[in-house]
Amino acid sequence: MSRGTLVYAAQRLILITLTALVVSSIVFIGVHQLPGNALASERRNNPASEAALLHHYHLDLPWPQQYLLWLQGLSHGDLGESLVNFGTQITPLLLRESQTSITLGLAAVLITVGVGMTLGVLAAIRQNTWVDYVASTSAVIGYSVPSFVWAFLLILLTVSGFYAWSGGQIYEDIGWGKPEQIPVPALALGLPYAAIVARLTRASMLEVIRQDYVRTAWAKGLKARVVILRHALRNALIPVVSILGPLVTGIITGSVVIEFLFGIPGLGKEFVSSILARDYNIVIGVFTFYAALVGLANLIVDLLYPVLDPRIRY
Amino acid sequence: MATVPTTIEAAEELLETGAADLPEHVTLWQDAWARLRQNRMAVIGLVIIGVFLVTALLSLVWTPYPTWRQALGPTYQTPSLIHPMGLDDYGRDILSRVMGGAAIALTVGVGASLVASMIGIALGMLAGFYRGKIDVIISTLINISYGVPDLLIALILVVLIGRGVGNIILAISITAWLGMARLVRGQTLSLREREFVEAARSIGTPNLKILTRHILPNALGPIVVQATYLVPAAIIFEAFLSLLGLGVPPPAPSWGRMASEGYKALQLAPHIVLAPCAALSLTVLAFNWVGDGLRDAIDPRMRR
Repeated sequence: MSRGTLVYAAQRLILITLTALVVSSIVFIGVHQLPGNALASERRNNPASEAALLHHYHLDLPWPQQYLLWLQGLSHGDLGESLVNFGTQITPLLLRESQTSITLGLAAVLITVGVGMTLGVLAAIRQNTWVDYVASTSAVIGYSVPSFVWAFLLILLTVSGFYAWSGGQIYEDIGWGKPEQIPVPALALGLPYAAIVARLTRASMLEVIRQDYVRTAWAKGLKARVVILRHALRNALIPVVSILGPLVTGIITGSVVIEFLFGIPGLGKEFVSSILARDYNIVIGVFTFYAALVGLANLIVDLLYPVLDPRIRY
Repeated sequence: MATVPTTIEAAEELLETGAADLPEHVTLWQDAWARLRQNRMAVIGLVIIGVFLVTALLSLVWTPYPTWRQALGPTYQTPSLIHPMGLDDYGRDILSRVMGGAAIALTVGVGASLVASMIGIALGMLAGFYRGKIDVIISTLINISYGVPDLLIALILVVLIGRGVGNIILAISITAWLGMARLVRGQTLSLREREFVEAARSIGTPNLKILTRHILPNALGPIVVQATYLVPAAIIFEAFLSLLGLGVPPPAPSWGRMASEGYKALQLAPHIVLAPCAALSLTVLAFNWVGDGLRDAIDPRMRR
């Protein structure tokens, strides 16, 4: 890693911090303009305890003062306390949940890139044969079928399918905690994006395999595997990497729905249940986490460019 | 070989009689339409969209059963002759609800695409044309918004402003315009340097007229393609919201809501989930096919 890369990464990290700060500030200020909160509706019957609670959460102060207090907490990583579950510190909760989300997201990205690139390369080297048609058609269908529909189909296939096929021997349950519970939600999350990667890989492979240096590689008598994987694919990857950024954002968005459906205790599920419970402290916290995650994921993608293409430098 | 006319009158006469050996006059859109018709997938897509559009319009005046009527028969009933898609967990006719869902999906999809396109075109043209401070403000807004998953923004907005169809369209558009604005900004940046814009400016054409009469028509091709892709994206987005319980409120038969209600009984009665999911996927697929076809048809690099 060169010095330029480090400087670039440092600049980006500052930018990510600023974005996360701006995003959470907008949400904080927006949310504090709202009438009502989780406390006002639930503990109305006892004015004394309500006043005590409002004071505990600084909700009795004007919002600019609350905002300053919140910023003060944020500066040493404290996102405050849950409004619904009294005494629950938000930062450790979201740190734990983001590990779950990152595991699921990484598995989905691996599936996306693996399945997508394999299909794309196959379609390109067998252009205009049935392999190409099947791969290209399944790619359009793949990204037209939303992740949650894939989830339903996969659940039916694995849970009901395996159960019936094995005569009740293989019992697969959905949820989280066991390694064998990762593939199904990760597949559901990754398949729509795998289709996009497949289309892009095919297009850029088709461009690359017509170039002179690939013809030279063939002429030297190199094995097909070496020509395709070492010479062609490496250059064909660059446009593919360029969509990894939006793709990671898309997978994070999709994970909100998938976590909800599969009951996976990640950030997305936390967000949905908090917003329904009007636990705005957690809502603001999740926004902060997601802004940081999206920024970091995009930074990692951008740092991949110079690895693939030495001409690109920061 | 036609003789070359030497006077304007002679040339006009030649044109009127059709004797002139000129290539047929084809506009970009006629050309694009001709090429779109050659694209089998795009035509199939258009037909599917047509069928869903007719179904949606029909559902406004007639469905086999009212979409909200419960206990039409045993709950979870599998497809039969009277109920071709079966009944759901409240004993409602799924076919009727899928029909009603088409109206909601198309309204939200097309509505959000239109609203988002208008916001995106306006802000994108402003940023690209005036550059400077306006561009910095708009581009910063775009970049910050890209830093947060759009679903979160939509969810929080729906909680704030309510869940009517109009509000759902607004909640989707509030993030969906970003891509359109980026596209239009880029187009405007390059178009504003072209000679015809300079010519228009040199004869004192007001900026507003340059934007609407000179830049917009020339950027319309990519805009139409992008707007087409926005429709399926908005339809999926609405399904996400409904699935999480924050879409169009019940008893409106949104496809996402139907899927979310049927999910509880996925193993027992998969038909409840599969019917709306199939309708949703088919609609999205059709719009993507048409979008792909339009992109290939309008791409100026392919123009003869």
